[in-house]
Amino acid sequence: MSSIREQKAHQTLDQSSMPNFNSSWVNYKGAWFTTLFIIVLLKTLFSVIPFISSEASWTLTNLTFNVGQYIMFHWVQGIPFENHQGAYDGLTLWEQIDGGVQFTATRKFFTAVPIALFLLSTHYTHYNLVLLVINFAPLLWVLVAKLPVMHRVRVFGINKIDHVVD
Amino acid sequence: MDPSVHLDDEHAVFINSTVNSVYELINAIPGSHLVLSYVKNAYQDDPFRIILELFLVFFALKYMLSKKYKPQDNAVKLTEKEIDDLVEEWKPEPLVPPLSSFDKLNLEKAPLIIGAQSVKPKVAGHAKPLMNLASTNYLELQASERIRQKAIDTLKVYGVGSCGPPGFYGTIDVHMDLERDIAQFLGTEEAIIYAQGFSTISSVIPAFSKRGDLLVVDDGVSFSVQKGVQISRSNVRYFKHNDMQDLERVLDDIRVDDMHKRKLTRRFIVTEGLSANFGDIAPLAKLIELKRKFKYRLILDESQSIGVLGARGAGLTDLFNIDAKEVDMIVGSMSNALCASGGFCAGNTQIVDHQRLSGSAYCFSASIPAMLAVSASEALKYIQEKPQILCDLADRSRSFRQVLSHKSLENLIELSGSDVYSPSPFFHIRVNPAFLRSRGRDDISREDEERLLQDVVDECSAQGVLITRAKYVYDQERKCPRPSIKIYVTIGLTKKENDKAAGVVKSAIVKVFGKWKK
Repeated sequence: MSSIREQKAHQTLDQSSMPNFNSSWVNYKGAWFTTLFIIVLLKTLFSVIPFISSEASWTLTNLTFNVGQYIMFHWVQGIPFENHQGAYDGLTLWEQIDGGVQFTATRKFFTAVPIALFLLSTHYTHYNLVLLVINFAPLLWVLVAKLPVMHRVRVFGINKIDHVVD
Repeated sequence: MDPSVHLDDEHAVFINSTVNSVYELINAIPGSHLVLSYVKNAYQDDPFRIILELFLVFFALKYMLSKKYKPQDNAVKLTEKEIDDLVEEWKPEPLVPPLSSFDKLNLEKAPLIIGAQSVKPKVAGHAKPLMNLASTNYLELQASERIRQKAIDTLKVYGVGSCGPPGFYGTIDVHMDLERDIAQFLGTEEAIIYAQGFSTISSVIPAFSKRGDLLVVDDGVSFSVQKGVQISRSNVRYFKHNDMQDLERVLDDIRVDDMHKRKLTRRFIVTEGLSANFGDIAPLAKLIELKRKFKYRLILDESQSIGVLGARGAGLTDLFNIDAKEVDMIVGSMSNALCASGGFCAGNTQIVDHQRLSGSAYCFSASIPAMLAVSASEALKYIQEKPQILCDLADRSRSFRQVLSHKSLENLIELSGSDVYSPSPFFHIRVNPAFLRSRGRDDISREDEERLLQDVVDECSAQGVLITRAKYVYDQERKCPRPSIKIYVTIGLTKKENDKAAGVVKSAIVKVFGKWKK
């Protein structure tokens, strides 16, 4: 019967029918500027605290930014407001951007930012090996999560997407 | 001087001046000294780190320069020439596709009733009125003078349409009265009215069960329930029609699957009280026991059984003497036995209230006209006043079945809803597969079977009885039932007429089957 046709349609029909307001804001240039601004803010915050050396504050900025970015883009799934009949239920924000199309301008920007931040922070920590490793680990984590290969992939069943039965 | 040395000097001067000018150029770019100092600083006698950083930079460059693509996109990429060729050869398809022979058969054999629907209507092509065994007019409420008069009076007060969805100035006091009447009749807390019987169950299911929820559905359910299940986008499992052991097996499987997942989802068992496709009654007591044991909610579609089954006519809960509050949602249609229009869903207050904003057909469809709401209320009152008509209906149905269960028809047909004492007022007559095998090659197609049944229908019409084949939307049904003649018994015919009609059907079957493909 037409059940096979209906099954395929059911996988794709709903999702791009309306703009996904949960993920369309990342395309605005204002959001890009805000990301950079947040980095500047974080650095200022860490510099203002008197007990933290300059190297430590750069490292902390890098760390906080990467951890925050990971939680926001790659951990939390779904949409907070009920929409699209749960079509985006198992998808993280990164997977929802631009409807799953890889290598768009937004994705390129958000990949470049942690890399640039890493290069800057290793420079300002005078290339100390320990700090380098501390800076590099979250960068690696975040970069792997952004790879197109990892689209909709869940490692060790963490944060798994619900699959359709029958 | 040596010419090569002279050349080298010139080269050196040239190279020196080039480098200097490039350097000045770079210096001219604002901020370049930062980059230069960065690069100078970067090499700190640590080659591995340099390699790492270079690797990062190359990765970033590669990423920036990659082209966009959509993963799992199976779109075919065509060259310009291929596109042009395809456009050249394109011929538009006809707006209306040509009819198949089966479609033509269906169209020409559809009976045309002249005048009002009734138990003895005048049908085009026949001189005398035929006995109508093809409509759900079980209790002959269609001709009730009392209901007609009430409807006319209501029409004079309220006009024809309600001009709006129930949530937006479309709710009239008669709607609220009908909701109260239904709730009282069934014994539930509250009820909600929908404008069309078909879209009731297909709105109720998606109102509660969404993507990610679990529906366990009887696999012989009618088309409207299938659509509701499809629209809900939930995970679905089917169990064999009215087979409680299979249901238990499915529920057990789900529980085992879930042991390690512990997902908290909404779960529903969906089934029909009186099955439209098979005419048999769901075992409600066992359903409730299973539902309690596995902690599911039960959605019972009583479209066919409301007003027909049970001592009071209140459906399955009445028939089995079970409290209607045990069933989470009783969904029914007022367009069958009650001879009005529309549908309802009865349950507790939360369930009904949720549908006032979430029931798609409630929010986005006009409410039923006042006169139909009043007709339904009157029909319910009538049934409550005269419950003996239900016994009469059961009698008629039983005697009809007895005639058709006669030995001479055993090899020819099977009755679905075959229990002779079943109170169901309709049943299906299907061709016995043994008969098909004896008459033909093994490949009797569905169309051939339908044609055979249509011949029986024609023969009955010629003899004064109007019956019909069961019709389906063939390419959308999940598991289309076998072709059948569906007979609806009505108390509008007297006992003698009922028996006469049964006799006509029996002789028509014998005659037509006897002549077929000899």
